[in-house]
Amino acid sequence: MSFSFRLTNAIAAASIVLTSIESIMANEEYLPGIKWPEPQIVTPGEQNSQPPSDAVVLFDGKDLSQWENGDAWPIKDGIAYAGKGFIISKPKFGDCQVHLEWSAPTPAEGKGQQRGNSGLFLMGKYEIQILDSYDNKTYFDGQAGAIYKQTPPMVNVTRPPGEWNTYDVFWTRPRFGDDGKLTSPAYITAIHNGVLILNHFELQGDTPYSRPPAYEAHEDRRPISIQDHGNPVRFRNIWVREIQPLVGERASEPMLKDHSNGTTRPASEKYGEINAVSK
Amino acid sequence: MPSRSNNVGLMCGFVLLAIGIRAQPLDAVEYLPGIAWPEPAVITPGENNADAPSDAIVLFDGKDLSAWNDDGSWQVENGVMIVGTTSLLTKRKFGDCQVHVEWSMPNPPRGNGQDRGNSGIFFMPHYEEARQLYWKYEIQILDSYDNRTYFDGQAAAVYKQSPPLVNAMRRPGQWNTYDIVFIAPRFAEDGTLNSPAYVTLVHNGVLVHNHYEMSGPTSWTAPPAYSKHAERLPLGLQNHGHKVRFRNIWVREITPIVGEPASAPMLRKGNKRWPVGAKEPAGAGE
Repeated sequence: MSFSFRLTNAIAAASIVLTSIESIMANEEYLPGIKWPEPQIVTPGEQNSQPPSDAVVLFDGKDLSQWENGDAWPIKDGIAYAGKGFIISKPKFGDCQVHLEWSAPTPAEGKGQQRGNSGLFLMGKYEIQILDSYDNKTYFDGQAGAIYKQTPPMVNVTRPPGEWNTYDVFWTRPRFGDDGKLTSPAYITAIHNGVLILNHFELQGDTPYSRPPAYEAHEDRRPISIQDHGNPVRFRNIWVREIQPLVGERASEPMLKDHSNGTTRPASEKYGEINAVSK
Repeated sequence: MPSRSNNVGLMCGFVLLAIGIRAQPLDAVEYLPGIAWPEPAVITPGENNADAPSDAIVLFDGKDLSAWNDDGSWQVENGVMIVGTTSLLTKRKFGDCQVHVEWSMPNPPRGNGQDRGNSGIFFMPHYEEARQLYWKYEIQILDSYDNRTYFDGQAAAVYKQSPPLVNAMRRPGQWNTYDIVFIAPRFAEDGTLNSPAYVTLVHNGVLVHNHYEMSGPTSWTAPPAYSKHAERLPLGLQNHGHKVRFRNIWVREITPIVGEPASAPMLRKGNKRWPVGAKEPAGAGE
């Protein structure tokens, strides 16, 4: 067969596929009428755990120069060990995505809250617990992945001491009005070693040891901090991305476009009142 | 000097932090929330985070399509499944779930806009009357590497509802990952919507939707509008005429952890306990 004949067949076959898709979809296309900004292009890390191009790297194995009190935590072979006092990030964050890797001391020493205890404090106030919860029972709202004294993680995915755990945290900060009153609580979603442990959990407030959680108005952006609880928990590969909402603007009412003749008409003519919203 | 006194203040702050939280001396007051929680199930994570954890249902591990209702048109080659001439639905049904799926675009790329590497992952697709397939809730799969289209139709968009927060696409031939948290909509007996669907999506390790509230199903033809359906339905992968490749697909059901109030919130110091809001009792306790 001639090349052109084969080509014709290929086009015919392709058009059958397209036709079948179009026929499923009918001719009229729904156009939401929202004008969106173009999503920014972010180059992901070569591995998903590595910082993407828009991340603020807080620890890459070299030094803790991005942290207040960083000098008090020793670094050996690219790993930071919990030392004396909290470390507090110099950059401040509001809504953000945090990646952090931690490893409990080995051999395991102590029991319950005394084994491999540390914590990641969002905005320096809201703790997701770091603890050696591998074969080590404690109160459930105080085990690894807990929002301290508010909720346990949905499941316990802790790796054995010496192995590396990852936290991927999606943080929505609380909002306060001008009068200092809470207008929107904080929310957290957390993935521990690839497994969802908290899904959009609504925090009741901060997470102290000595009193119930409470919200007190604070800055929109605050540092993250990592706790010294007297155990040499190890850390590596810490990075944060700011989360910026993507906001669309209504450019027209929702429309239907007839691809057979190129005409458009309001979608409400066919579907009635539309409650589609841009978020 | 100001800088020095600042440093001293900072140092004092650190010391206080360290003492206040680290040492917890025996006479420290502890807050007891009074909630009885079930023990969180112990799950063994995958060796790598992308590998299926112990409680996952594996939908494709490189071997076969036995987890899917397949018509024979999808191919499995070298541990990869390749889009066939129909869309593919799982045999199992899911409600709230976490999904991991890896996909790769045809290389070299061909076509433009929506006509390049188009597919999609569908939550809760199902057949209704006249064997019409209702796709319901789509996360777009598309070659959005250096390929512009309408933003609410590019890779990782909630189709025709919202673009992703950012475009974290890898090049054709490389592997993309989606880690998706899908919360199914809830309907009342009479069919009214009690709670919409929500989706959180991580594309190649980058958050691109954070608990996004869907306006309804994602259709090419119709505005989103919820209509009652079953609580558990299959997952689907779309055929859009392009040879998109998939690997390493697994799902975990999401089960919330629910605590029960067991006592009023209390404060404790040594042997003494008293309700939050009350005065600490005098004496040393029992």
